[in-house]
Amino acid sequence: MITVRDLTRRFGPHTAIEGLSFHLEPGEVVGFLGPNGAGKSTTMRILSGYLPASSGSAEVAGFDVLRQSLEVRKRIGYLPESVPLYAEHRVEEMLDFQGRLHGLSRSERRARIPFVLERAGILDRSRAIIGGLSRGQRQRVGIAVALLPEPKVLILDEPTSGLDPLQRLEMRKLLVELGREHTVLLSSHILPEIEAVCPRVIILSKGRIAADGTKDDLVRQLGGGAKLRLEAFVGGDVAAAVRLLKALPGVRDVLDRGRLGVHHVFEIPCSDDLREDVGALANAKRWAIRELSWQRPTLEQLFARIALDLPTEQLVEPSATEVPAAQVEAPIALEVSPTLKSAAPSPAPQAAPAQGKIVYNLNPFDMGASRDLSKPKPIDGPGAPPEGHA
Amino acid sequence: MSGAWTIYRRELAGLFLSPLAWVLLAIALAFNGFFFVLSVKGFGGDVLASMSFLLGGSYTFWLLVVLLPPLVTMRMFSEEARTGVLEFLLTAPVHDFAVVLGKLLAATTLMAVLWSSALVYGAAAAALGTAPDWTPLLSGVFGATLVSALFCAIGLSISAVTNTPLLAAFFATIANAAILSLPFLDALLALPPGSPLRVMLGHANVITQFQASFVVGALDTKHVLFFLVWTGFFSFLATRVLEARRWW
Repeated sequence: MITVRDLTRRFGPHTAIEGLSFHLEPGEVVGFLGPNGAGKSTTMRILSGYLPASSGSAEVAGFDVLRQSLEVRKRIGYLPESVPLYAEHRVEEMLDFQGRLHGLSRSERRARIPFVLERAGILDRSRAIIGGLSRGQRQRVGIAVALLPEPKVLILDEPTSGLDPLQRLEMRKLLVELGREHTVLLSSHILPEIEAVCPRVIILSKGRIAADGTKDDLVRQLGGGAKLRLEAFVGGDVAAAVRLLKALPGVRDVLDRGRLGVHHVFEIPCSDDLREDVGALANAKRWAIRELSWQRPTLEQLFARIALDLPTEQLVEPSATEVPAAQVEAPIALEVSPTLKSAAPSPAPQAAPAQGKIVYNLNPFDMGASRDLSKPKPIDGPGAPPEGHA
Repeated sequence: MSGAWTIYRRELAGLFLSPLAWVLLAIALAFNGFFFVLSVKGFGGDVLASMSFLLGGSYTFWLLVVLLPPLVTMRMFSEEARTGVLEFLLTAPVHDFAVVLGKLLAATTLMAVLWSSALVYGAAAAALGTAPDWTPLLSGVFGATLVSALFCAIGLSISAVTNTPLLAAFFATIANAAILSLPFLDALLALPPGSPLRVMLGHANVITQFQASFVVGALDTKHVLFFLVWTGFFSFLATRVLEARRWW
């Protein structure tokens, strides 16, 4: 429905977008994500026929946006970021004007205008003067105006900017509904916004496509910074443990992050999930594992890295180890310095190693189920079977 | 061209929804009324002479023609560029020229309403017993509207250049005054009679083009065409400026 090939637009010496290429199938809902100034609006303006491209080509519904601009304009509903409306007119007059511009007959206008106003949830203000509406209401009128000619493609530039949280939620709901009937391209610089609505995201950074795909694709494409974290009691010879870990296939490097209580902390940068291998090794070596986790950067972190223009390997530190995404409504990337982290009190009280290690074992399939859970279960020394080999 | 008609209707509504149109109308009517009464007295009760005095026969007319169209057209593109509505119009399925044409017709309509106030004076004179000669009166109103269209087109093309309405009005006024004073150039340059530049300047004399036909009640296609062609030229210019804006 939308095909963009090698699109470039310069404003004097400044290059707004460079070499953009992407394709939207009919019915797709795609989010443009990027920090301010990444070129989202410029791309949308080119697609809407407002700006010509410096080079490259763009097609909407099979028509070239430059050569067959009028055909393209008939088929898109475009809502610019500024939500342009005539302030001195009433809502229904504005829609009537849009209907006439698109050549709708009187009966079509009569049927469509209340329908789209209802759709946008602003039917009760159809007689209001636009200049007197609130920002959120104007946004709704803008959506109604864009929807009026039943466009095949909806291009919405920051449809949620300037709205309060409640209005944002409502707008999201509306956008999800619209996505069922139209091909939608919308932009935002707020990630949860886009994630909630668009299955596919195109991340723009400094005028180029940084990543394009579903959420999982993006994490893979943007990559970098994934690591395995192992907290285990490895006995006295740490260097030997590091050597063993390094010997595992797929491991390039093992970072010794020092002791945390009796446990040693290792970080293994790796792009694949090596938990099974490390777990097997730990089992064979009878290391007592306290934590074995594979930490992938969240999309939030990757986006923050793009927005802050950090190098690939550096990440905004996550607030904690990996938490299932379903539990996190809107993850907030917090910067926790390593010193702060190690200074934090260790969560489990450690008994003296001389008496043997105390492990809280809550695995019902292990021996832990039959015992009194209110009391810790003693294990005699490092020879005991380690937990965690799921 | 249905796009131009749609935009014309919107623009006209927009003009008359803003206080500016009413203020301009009030000022122009007061101005015209004052000079009409004055000229009726001055011409010893000659209504027709007073009418042609109002519609092109005097410098008060040209003052209004130079000052009012820029004020009517100053916001038409510059304000819309600032509020972003221009982006809406230029992504609507209408040609750029239809946008210019719609706006030009709306501005010209406002000016036509303004000049047709002279007809009210004619009607008043007729009611008081001295029926004026309606033909020169009507051709005068028609001519005044044509001249206004030309100056509105100039105002539009300048409004399309800037984002500040007042700046647009200022430069359009200067441009209007410059066009009216073009014929004085030959005196300034002391051109010999018959030199091509002098002939050209003579043809570009808006005031004589106007007074030779409309004021005397004769509709000469040559003069009508003169105004239509120049209006068309400046409308075309405004369209090109709008197109160029997309590259800025």
